[in-house]
Amino acid sequence: MQKIEEIQGQQPFAHWLNGVEGIGSVWARKLVEALGTPEEVYRASEKSLLAIAGSSRLAGLLAAQKQEVYKEYEEMEQAGIFFLPCYHPEYPKRLLQIPDSPFGIYVKGRLPRDNERSIAIVGARNCSAYGRYVADAFAKAFAKEGVSVVSGMARGIDGVAQGGALAAGGSTYAVLGCGVDICYPACHDALYGKICASGGVLSTYPPKTAPSPKHFPPRNRIISGLSDAVLVVEAKQKSGTLITVDMALEQGREVYAVPGRITDRLSDGCNRLLVQGAAVALSPAQMLKELSETVWRNDRQDEGITGCRNDGAANDGCLTGEGAAAEGINKQERALLSLLDFYPISMEQIYIMAQQEKILCVLALPQMMELLWQLVVKGFVVNEGGYYGLKKPVWQ
Amino acid sequence: MFSAVNTGGVRGMDAYPVRVEVDLSRGLPCFELVGSAGSEVKEARERVQIALKNEGVVLPVSKIIVNLSPADIRKEGTGYDLPIAAGLLACMDFFHASDFLHTAFLGELALNGEVRRVSGVLPIVIALKKEGIDTFLVPAENAGECAVVPGIRTIGIKSVRELLCYLKADEEERQKCFPAYIRERAGRVEENGKDFAQVCGQESVKRAAEVAAAGFHHLMLAGAPGTGKTMIAERIPDILPPMTEEEKLEVSGIYSIAGKLQTEGLMEKRPFLAPHHTVSPQAMAGGGRIPRPGLLSLAHRGILFLDEMPEFSSAVLEVLRQPMEEKKVHIDRSYASYTYPADFMLVCAMNPCPCGYFPDRNRCHCSPADIRRYLGRISGPILDRIDMITEAAPVAVKDLYEAREAESTAAIKLRVLGARERQQFRYRESPYRFNGELPGSEVKKYCQPSFDGQRFLEQMSEAGQISARAFHKILRLARTAADLEGREKIEQTHLAEAVCYNSGRRRFWKQMDM
Repeated sequence: MQKIEEIQGQQPFAHWLNGVEGIGSVWARKLVEALGTPEEVYRASEKSLLAIAGSSRLAGLLAAQKQEVYKEYEEMEQAGIFFLPCYHPEYPKRLLQIPDSPFGIYVKGRLPRDNERSIAIVGARNCSAYGRYVADAFAKAFAKEGVSVVSGMARGIDGVAQGGALAAGGSTYAVLGCGVDICYPACHDALYGKICASGGVLSTYPPKTAPSPKHFPPRNRIISGLSDAVLVVEAKQKSGTLITVDMALEQGREVYAVPGRITDRLSDGCNRLLVQGAAVALSPAQMLKELSETVWRNDRQDEGITGCRNDGAANDGCLTGEGAAAEGINKQERALLSLLDFYPISMEQIYIMAQQEKILCVLALPQMMELLWQLVVKGFVVNEGGYYGLKKPVWQ
Repeated sequence: MFSAVNTGGVRGMDAYPVRVEVDLSRGLPCFELVGSAGSEVKEARERVQIALKNEGVVLPVSKIIVNLSPADIRKEGTGYDLPIAAGLLACMDFFHASDFLHTAFLGELALNGEVRRVSGVLPIVIALKKEGIDTFLVPAENAGECAVVPGIRTIGIKSVRELLCYLKADEEERQKCFPAYIRERAGRVEENGKDFAQVCGQESVKRAAEVAAAGFHHLMLAGAPGTGKTMIAERIPDILPPMTEEEKLEVSGIYSIAGKLQTEGLMEKRPFLAPHHTVSPQAMAGGGRIPRPGLLSLAHRGILFLDEMPEFSSAVLEVLRQPMEEKKVHIDRSYASYTYPADFMLVCAMNPCPCGYFPDRNRCHCSPADIRRYLGRISGPILDRIDMITEAAPVAVKDLYEAREAESTAAIKLRVLGARERQQFRYRESPYRFNGELPGSEVKKYCQPSFDGQRFLEQMSEAGQISARAFHKILRLARTAADLEGREKIEQTHLAEAVCYNSGRRRFWKQMDM
């Protein structure tokens, strides 16, 4: 199959073949190779199938699941969902390179271009405020540099990273463990719409497939497969995120981990990865710089894409951009800021810490509250429903 | 032979006078009780007959008819025994009913002739006094609450024999043998051994309790298990300003009707009710076939404390909605509708998540969905009526050992009383008592922030920290904070503190995406 028209004509059958339950990528590919086109597979006699497969199981599966292929495919196209089989010229080249590459992929929106630089940001669902901040900051920085963010649209790190990339005007791709027409988790309704509009929602599962635990590990290999590097923001010791890391290593992708405090269980997975040799992600700038010297080295020469913005040594190694110096705050406010952290704490805890550290202990509670809300107004402190934490890192 | 004596009955919160009319006539011997008498009132026939017999009075063999007038109001309760007995004795010429036109009888009879306590004495006495009755013969156990009403003569009666003695005696003998019951003035305030000085740390929670008590604001305490939420809640009644005489009578009336008034008479302390979370909506609101005041009414002018609030059934929590708005409970029955007062201060405590350790991610394993479901048990309308939310922080054992001197209840109460006085003065010409009662329409009049304060509020609103909905709440709270400090103008500090108490609300409606 060479001509694009020919491929287009075969699409309904390719979609059908992909959706046949019990037949995986490997067999689908083998069948098409042996018989020429998916339509031939659809129309193949039991005898010829037996000759290829060597058992009657395959023929039985195919025969049992024959249905009206055209109608279903048209419905899907009308819903704005496209199917790209592996022999399609637009099928991402990066996916062809990975072991066990999928037979086809469904797309709502668009696919990353082959020369598009992309990084996967993954992490825990029940993440901390620290993880949320880091995921958001990295995603925004990547988006500003024209690097797209690939993730799984899950709760927690995934969703925050993709939301951050969109907010910074970048493109982002979500790989789902269900049909691309289903928004899972449902709380990411708004995010799902935005990703469809300015990026793409991808899946190897046909539309209408409900999410299922067994779908998620295989989709993780697509996340890492579509990216040049994988950034793990927060993960517990036993985390699904680490499956993505395994896949990435298998596929030869760079793995970066964000270091965390050794007392935080949510950083155990990341710190463990660092021990095992993962690259350290200290700031988006450092990460982009390293990648442009390794993975993207050839891109720059070939296509003249400017590398990452290098702000010089001063910002190298810390989160840049938002980490502005604390301006326009007085001595007392500065002292109060020194007590706060990304982890939001209650007013009571702030007060206790102030007493213990002998900071601002001349102030009564109401005055302390006033000081705190001044900082909220000035945008340094964020109120998370009665708990207060730092909004931006402050370099004092 | 006809006679009539005075007594009274209670319907809902209102008492009304009842005339017990007794007639003995010829005819087939019988003993009938008419006048919309409930079943326990009808049983009076047996109790009265036996009690009189055991005291040596045998009823004549004749047709006995007793009527409770007005006959169209349904009578409930056992307080009619004694007046019926008195009516019968009058018919049997033991005394002249015409001598006792200004005397009322109230009490239940035991079969051996003893007089037992009844409920609702206080409101009945108040109502009958207005009708010109000045002498009350009540069970000795109820004498305390009866004597609370000034300008009347209270005679505590222990048995039918005593009743007979009283009725037969002449005025001089009565003065000697039946002195009017004089209520001892309860000067002592019971020490319950609970003091704020015993609570280590939790300064911000104690401060919130102080503000809540000073302005009668509804308060929610959130925090991990074992942080002292219950301990603090239990101590709030002690810092509340004392009840006025009028309030005491009001609260005692409710307790009297519910049959829960202690023998001492008046309720001196503000009520503190802490129902278990398995309580039923009926117990909360009041009810039963013959409605009785529920916990909401028993907490009138006091505190209703709901520990582990999300564990209460949603039906129970929704019952709180109307009373928190109208400060009344309405109960409707096919034959009548009742209204009980329910102006309480709600104090509730809850964990921040099912396991209790949120937001400490190292200890809390609850998923955002779990937390949302847990917090979701408290509905928006209830949350809207809670003025303050405050967080208690975990306390380290070390801090318990090295506890610094904490402020005592007496010191806090002093400030609360100051704030109370300011409020009394401010609202002297309006129906409000506390800042927490101010309706939205009046907030503007009484809670004007200073220029700086206004600018601060605008900034907060621009920063998306306060909504229009919370605006009045914040001003009311700031008013109380300013009153506690003795300031007439609401300054930025007061507003910041108020915003702080309001910010916990966010957690409930925020789409928790983490």
